Amino acid sequence: MGKVKIKRKSTLIDMTAMSDVTVLLLTFFMLTSTFLAKEPTVVMTPSSVSEEKVPMNNLVTILVSGKDKPGNEGNPATEGKIFISFTGDKDSTLSSEHIREMMLLEAVKIYNEQHPSAKVELDQTQVAEFTKLNMFGLPFRGLPQYLSLDQTKRDEFQGNMEDPNVGIPIDGNKDRNGKLNDFQVWMKAVYNVAQRIHNDQKDMLTDPADVKKLENLYTALMRKGEGIAVKADKNTPYSTVQIVFDNLQTMKLNKFSLLTALKSEDEPTH
Amino acid sequence: MAQIEQSDNGGKKKKGAQKKIAIHVDFTPMVDMNMLLITFFMLCTTMIKSQTLQLILPTNEEVKKENQNQAKKSEAVTLILDTEYNVQSGTPVVDENGKTAHIVYYYTGIADTTFSTPDFLKKETFIGNQNGQPQGIRAILVKRNEAVMKEYLKLKEMWKNEEISKEQFDSLAKLNAADSLKTRPVVVIKPGPNTTYEGLVNALDEMQINQISRYSIETPTHTDTILLNEYNRRNPAK
Repeated sequence: MGKVKIKRKSTLIDMTAMSDVTVLLLTFFMLTSTFLAKEPTVVMTPSSVSEEKVPMNNLVTILVSGKDKPGNEGNPATEGKIFISFTGDKDSTLSSEHIREMMLLEAVKIYNEQHPSAKVELDQTQVAEFTKLNMFGLPFRGLPQYLSLDQTKRDEFQGNMEDPNVGIPIDGNKDRNGKLNDFQVWMKAVYNVAQRIHNDQKDMLTDPADVKKLENLYTALMRKGEGIAVKADKNTPYSTVQIVFDNLQTMKLNKFSLLTALKSEDEPTH
Repeated sequence: MAQIEQSDNGGKKKKGAQKKIAIHVDFTPMVDMNMLLITFFMLCTTMIKSQTLQLILPTNEEVKKENQNQAKKSEAVTLILDTEYNVQSGTPVVDENGKTAHIVYYYTGIADTTFSTPDFLKKETFIGNQNGQPQGIRAILVKRNEAVMKEYLKLKEMWKNEEISKEQFDSLAKLNAADSLKTRPVVVIKPGPNTTYEGLVNALDEMQINQISRYSIETPTHTDTILLNEYNRRNPAK
């Protein structure tokens, strides 16, 4: 009997094609991704039929914290804390870092004018640290110390919603020319900085008809109401969010947008 | 690992002939690493961008009484929002689907201060459309805004049939919603003390769906509270 030779097949699989596919996928994800910006607390925005997208540039986001466990019984002490984040222009001279620096310097200036006895002084490194922050929420008086902390300590501090020193102080002040609360100081700074940028850009133009074509934070704030986005949890009582609305109204920033998730018209509005 | 396999010719090698070398590079670790990276990017990205809802508030400067626009009695609709609330836990009541129950009370015209008309205040819910027909509060608002909605649906039809572009549709719809020749309601939204943020967004959403161009957000007055109490007295909870 002749021996039957069993051919040994090689178990090697050619992975080259697979590798090609994964690299393509990877490239796709890398190019399309916008990283989730780190936020101190998670909120579930309500849904709406509005299809307008959140602008990528020139945006001031105001985050209103909800109860620590959305939908469940949470700690009411964590509710209604205010956080702000600034996003700059697509123009690299007005990048987020640059905008943040301008906002900070302007806000601190206004704050110091209002509180001559308790001035806030920031050095160069602290200002540089601030420009790297995505979202912040603390009173002015805590800023110098906060900016001297390292990243992990900062996140730890900011993540503790029960701490009364977390969140930008806000109250029912309705006098634009009176003593502003910290939130109003920030909003005034936003307005001033936006206006200054707008005026600078306007001066650069040769044709006055081009003023209408300008797109910056000021036009977003004034013409379209896209400059400020309020983000709040759907279960937060309206009375808490109303305080933010009232403060914006006081600062004459009457046009703003609310961040929502998309749903269809037919869905029951729950 | 790169492997170099030499083709075996059974030892019969010709001198001077070039060796044929097949190079196999094992790509498995490369694939593994790529998969890990993909997973990382997939988890870290947001594909869905959130939407925004525009809101324009009036200035809070004092407006002289004679300069104030008075809404016609026949056009006024007042919505008082409420969210079912569990007093013990201090959280909104949720149904079996995990959804919050939002209620809206509404009345038309000027508030009845005699509190004697039965069913002056009516109760409705936000339930959207069913079989393409508006339900709940939407049915009432659609009816109040009939003239505008008729035109709006016509425009929508034209847009769907590609007779007009999206931009044209948007601008025409905006003009249509603000057309002062048509009878349009003036809606006053009054969020009650228990209302959640979602309740307010729901109400604002209805304004957009029903093409209501004139609406405002106000705080409930003393009269509204009495009306609500009166309603609850007449219609005790089951």
